[in-house]
Amino acid sequence: MGNSSLEIIINLAKTVVVFLMMVQAVPILVWLERRGSAFIQNRFGPNRVGPLGLVQLLADAAKFLNKEDFVPDKGNRLLFYAAPVFALIPAAVAYMAMPMSTPLKIGDSTFLIQGYEVNVGIVFILGISAMAVYTMLMAGFGSSSKFSLMGAMRASAQVISYELALGLAIVGVIMMYGTFNLTDMVLAQQGAFHFSGFGREFSLSFLPNWGIFYQPLGAVIFFAAAFAESNRLPFDLAEGEAELVAGFHTEYGGFKMLMFFIGEYGHMMIASGLMTTFYFGGYGIPGWTIAEVYQTGVSIFGSETGGSIFSSVMHFLSYNVKFAIFLWIFIHVRWTLPRFRYDQLMDLGWKTMLPWALFNTILTATVIFLASQYVI
Amino acid sequence: MQEISLLLAVGLNHYLILSAILFTIGLSGVLLRRNLIVVMMSIELMLNAVNISFVAFSKYNYNPEGQVIVFFVMTIAAAEAAVGLAIIVSIFKRFKEVNIRFFEHLKG
Amino acid sequence: MSMDTVLFWFLSLIVIVPALAVVLLSNPVYSALSLVMTMVGVAAVFATLNAYFLAGVQLIVYTGAVMVLFVMVLMLFDLKHDLQTFSRGKVSGFLKIAGVGVMAGLLVGAISLATKKPSLIVEGSPLANELAAAAASGADNTKILAENLFLRNMLGFEILGVLLLVIAVGTVALSRSKGGTHARD
Repeated sequence: MGNSSLEIIINLAKTVVVFLMMVQAVPILVWLERRGSAFIQNRFGPNRVGPLGLVQLLADAAKFLNKEDFVPDKGNRLLFYAAPVFALIPAAVAYMAMPMSTPLKIGDSTFLIQGYEVNVGIVFILGISAMAVYTMLMAGFGSSSKFSLMGAMRASAQVISYELALGLAIVGVIMMYGTFNLTDMVLAQQGAFHFSGFGREFSLSFLPNWGIFYQPLGAVIFFAAAFAESNRLPFDLAEGEAELVAGFHTEYGGFKMLMFFIGEYGHMMIASGLMTTFYFGGYGIPGWTIAEVYQTGVSIFGSETGGSIFSSVMHFLSYNVKFAIFLWIFIHVRWTLPRFRYDQLMDLGWKTMLPWALFNTILTATVIFLASQYVI
Repeated sequence: MQEISLLLAVGLNHYLILSAILFTIGLSGVLLRRNLIVVMMSIELMLNAVNISFVAFSKYNYNPEGQVIVFFVMTIAAAEAAVGLAIIVSIFKRFKEVNIRFFEHLKG
Repeated sequence: MSMDTVLFWFLSLIVIVPALAVVLLSNPVYSALSLVMTMVGVAAVFATLNAYFLAGVQLIVYTGAVMVLFVMVLMLFDLKHDLQTFSRGKVSGFLKIAGVGVMAGLLVGAISLATKKPSLIVEGSPLANELAAAAASGADNTKILAENLFLRNMLGFEILGVLLLVIAVGTVALSRSKGGTHARD
């Protein structure tokens, strides 16, 4: 973790900061979602409380805190209360493993701009976010209502079906970069588009060296499966209002409902972060390598610490711009596309996305093998 | 002094004892419980106990073969769970209960 | 007291207490959720043993897929409490547990007698240094594992693939024959 006690304390505090960052992003996202949907549907959206309606969510949170603490009479109280708490944990723990900027070097100590570094980052994030299913199952079973249970069943069946396509889409990325470590992946996507294979060098100076140009099919499958994983439209069969009232959180209200919301947005953030990291260069800035940013910082501030801080800030901004674009795509798709039917959803997962993901894996493996063995 | 070093120096034996305790719990679950699903969950416990001992051996003997075996065990555990649950669901459909005594009706 | 030691005792608590709960609780849904906790604990134990990749796979396969199936089936059945949780016969039950415990104890005793060498590692000895080096290069662990799996155990891997296919077909056949969860008749 670190060699001095100060470093250990800062690293521990950092985990709290990253968690708070994630939770604090939710009100902004909800505001964005409501204003965005209003924009798409030619309405106004929340615009009364505060400038542009920005404080609306705080007012909502205060309202949520004052709501009655309702528990269904026949329900299982323990599971009913436990489910919203567990909704936060997987999202927060998985998001902390995401690299958000270059490490900050102050004097002798180094601080990573991420909660903690896991050397099998992808497997860790997939494993932890797979545990979100239990939240829905606990909520569905705990509220002892048909709608809740059906919603939970649908959601969990959907999540474990699409996990296969998601995992296989990532296999292509792992084979290409040859690592499980997210930071190494980001570093591998630096500079202009270039690769060596078939005994020669290929390069295009106007394209960044991003994963999307090597794995376009994998990126599409990953993004679609990520929608299904986070239970967003067009895959939100779990809470199809016309059929199931509100799915697994039918019986929830007030602050417990808000916690489910935070969990759902957390999964959206993980999906956007992974998309950025795998296919869009992570925190890298196109056309400006990490070393160049660092040199610019050193020449502006005249010290290595200044250079490091400058590099961290610039890359953090770059990461957040890409991250925000993907979050917006999530929101835009939700208000543009209609919902699938349940059998269509399962057909898409098992009969379309899984075979294409397998094809992508085999194609990637073949090309990597041929490129390392043969000369054109 | 001996007790303190036993507490402080965690080695292969500690992991083996952990694995043995877990295995014992799992086996007593298989022998004592009447609910089929809980029996299957106890079998999963036993498989996990064995996995812990494999990984511990693999670390302390510097041999990666142990971890490969754990892979195989996990795959077989997943397969076993799938088939077992399919059988349990068909028993439940027939008798509306998942008690182990209904297994005797399976013959023929 | 080093960090590893604290971690081991903490994790063994996390593994064993829910494992007891799996066997002792009479509501099968609680049993299943306790088993999930045990699985997470076992994954963490794998991580302390430097098997990081296996820890991730344990999380994905067991908690992400196998246990979800268990919990889903239990919730579909909606069993409140088992009418008869344990099998009859208190004396025979205790005899069974005692027998299993004695067997497990003998097994551990025999193994720990047979493998004295690794547990006698002295701080600063060449063996300990090698161990530390292996622990420090945790990233290479996965590569070694992959080479072992795909070069030396290829036949087993292929056979497992065939087994999984057979299992998939068999499960579909089983659940369709006399009306699975979506019976039409």
